[in-house]
Amino acid sequence: MSTIGLIAVDLTVALLCAAAWLGAGITAATGRGGTAKALTAGAVAVTLARVVVVVLLAGRGWWFVQDKVTFALPLLGLAAVVAVGVLVSRGASAATVPLLAAGFTATSGLLLPFFSGYPMRVDQALISISLIGAATLAAWRVTSPAPVRVGRFVAAVAAVGLAGAALGLLPAQQVDAGEQHHHHAVGAQVATAPAPGGQVRRFELAARRASVTLASGTRTEAWTYNGSAPGPEITATEGDLLEVTLTNVDIDSGVTLHWHGYDVPNSEDGAPGLTQDAVMPGGRYVYRFLANQVGTYWYHTHQASAEGVRKGLFGTLIVTPRAATPSADVDLTLPVHTFDGIVALGSHDGVTQKAVPQGTPVRLRVINTDSNPHRISLAGTAFRVVAVDGNDLHEPGEVSGVALRLAAGGRYDFAFSMPAFSMPGSGGGVALLVDDDPVRGALRLGDGAPTGTSPDTSAWPELDLLSYGSPLDAQSAPFGPGSRFDRDFTMVLDRGLAMVDGKPMYAHTVNGLGHPNVPTQRVREGDLVRFTVVNRGLDTHPWHLHGHRVLVLSKDGRNVSGSPLWLDTFDVRPGEFWRVALRANNRGVWMNHCHNLGHADQGMALHLSYDG
Amino acid sequence: MNQAMRRIYVVLVGLLLASGGLQFYFAAVGAFTKPQTEDSFALHTLNGRMVFPILAILATIAAALAKAPGKLIGLTILPLGLGIVQVLIIVLGNVIGGATEQRTTPLALAILGLHAVNGMIILGVIGNVMRQARTHLTAAATAR
Repeated sequence: MSTIGLIAVDLTVALLCAAAWLGAGITAATGRGGTAKALTAGAVAVTLARVVVVVLLAGRGWWFVQDKVTFALPLLGLAAVVAVGVLVSRGASAATVPLLAAGFTATSGLLLPFFSGYPMRVDQALISISLIGAATLAAWRVTSPAPVRVGRFVAAVAAVGLAGAALGLLPAQQVDAGEQHHHHAVGAQVATAPAPGGQVRRFELAARRASVTLASGTRTEAWTYNGSAPGPEITATEGDLLEVTLTNVDIDSGVTLHWHGYDVPNSEDGAPGLTQDAVMPGGRYVYRFLANQVGTYWYHTHQASAEGVRKGLFGTLIVTPRAATPSADVDLTLPVHTFDGIVALGSHDGVTQKAVPQGTPVRLRVINTDSNPHRISLAGTAFRVVAVDGNDLHEPGEVSGVALRLAAGGRYDFAFSMPAFSMPGSGGGVALLVDDDPVRGALRLGDGAPTGTSPDTSAWPELDLLSYGSPLDAQSAPFGPGSRFDRDFTMVLDRGLAMVDGKPMYAHTVNGLGHPNVPTQRVREGDLVRFTVVNRGLDTHPWHLHGHRVLVLSKDGRNVSGSPLWLDTFDVRPGEFWRVALRANNRGVWMNHCHNLGHADQGMALHLSYDG
Repeated sequence: MNQAMRRIYVVLVGLLLASGGLQFYFAAVGAFTKPQTEDSFALHTLNGRMVFPILAILATIAAALAKAPGKLIGLTILPLGLGIVQVLIIVLGNVIGGATEQRTTPLALAILGLHAVNGMIILGVIGNVMRQARTHLTAAATAR
């Protein structure tokens, strides 16, 4: 069973457990002793079942069970022993309050994972105990036939709760003593000239509000670069120097340009508050960097990014190799974006038709500019996934009848030769579908004649990129799962109550904390750095580190068996844990965050910083 | 004093009933919003996660202060517990049913549909609480 499946079973058993103990308490309170005894027996059985499930879950990783093993289950065990003891020795009626207390303890165990993360903290334990105590006292007061004096107990419960609250409000510890990062990142030198043979490519991007018309005629109020969404296509040849001047006309919250997946010098990274100040209306910022990575990339604002990118502040960045021969005659860049709920490829919602002669080499560059993953399927042809996140794969094999899940922010380059005849089931020609939808945000390549019925790709299996392509021989790999790592960071992703930018909220958390309280990760230049990213929650988290690409080592403990997979964004689904690594070679202070930009705004972000 | 508290209790239960009823209205608003976005159910989410739980807790405190019978106090907190079940139905339905961000499954939908059934149960419970709270109020009035 998958880890998330086990988590679901655990939640279900926890729900039954709470219901059984509470039911036993309620029936005892209302004088139905027989039923209370039967429910207690059931509650004990379910509690033991929960122990078994937690033991199974522990096999998937300590991160998934730490709160249960160290707190929730021992406390429930204690409450259960007391309740059963009183029930056996003094009867159901006398056991009312202990049974209800066990019910409250079980309820807290059910709710705890939704509020606290990994590692569970002492303040959270104290507050839980205080709440269980308060509920128990209230139940005692309400169910007791004679008046009870609960005063000193109330004081004790309140003291425990206050102690917990006080501990929780203490400032979070910053690794390496509360250093402050300002805008003086000591990054790599910014290039001032192109590489030999390259040229300077200048672009001017003005951020402004505009009404954008999609291909179907639907108008949408967008935030744009130069009045269009997506913004202008930025293209370069390997070795060129890109010089992009950003100005802001009327985006009141400010804008920047972040070069997603491009390992630019720190000062060019576009992270507001970290590498530059946001460009406010009337302001400007010039970005310069060498186009030294070939492939499919994109740019977007990083200021209030969830809203800004959603409204249209993004565009594509394509860098082609210097070697003159183009690899494909038809080379299409297809940024997937959802405008007000309408899925589009670029600005094309609906079906885009294009005539492509048979035998033509085709390259499709699909970019997910949304905050959620998309399922991409290519019907009507066998194809190769030649690059992921701009990085070429090693010996990618030909596949067909499979779909790929594209992480938020991620890119796939597909290559194929336009087939000589239509494959059965494709509806004629080649179709690229987003989320298996044949009519919204779809691309159809054919011989020019109207294409027929739409292919149904919804039952296609998902291609596992971890076993796609072939590995490099051991000497060629720069490092791997067996390497000795200088730094080893663990990030456990979850939801919970946490402070985010000084305000308490139901946050998306890293190790139980929200931005900017998540300790900064410190590395030295030259370090081999390993990250373990665990998703303990119920939402998908596309993880994105600025300034570096990471080599995937393993997922859920299974090593990559196919082509080396260099990614800048990897989708950590609920219950998964990924191990990835990098060589620290780009000095500065970098954002390390969830690329579901709403999650990042709600706390799921931290910094990685170079010493010295 | 007690009479006033009992009246406040009835009023709070009335607000809880209204909040519960509005959930159905907001659900329909969300279901018919086009295009569907994450914001379509914003009113339903806000009312369900914030307003309703707070009203349920306030009503329960009022029940205790109004010296309602223990059984009625317990019944007043029940909608909160069932509200938690509402969230768990969605979480567990998606996970057990194997639904993804893009696509639900028949099994997931079979479980997710219970969200409406449990919603009706919640309304029924609040209706029951309302009846008993009013009886509690009338009892105080006649006892005077």
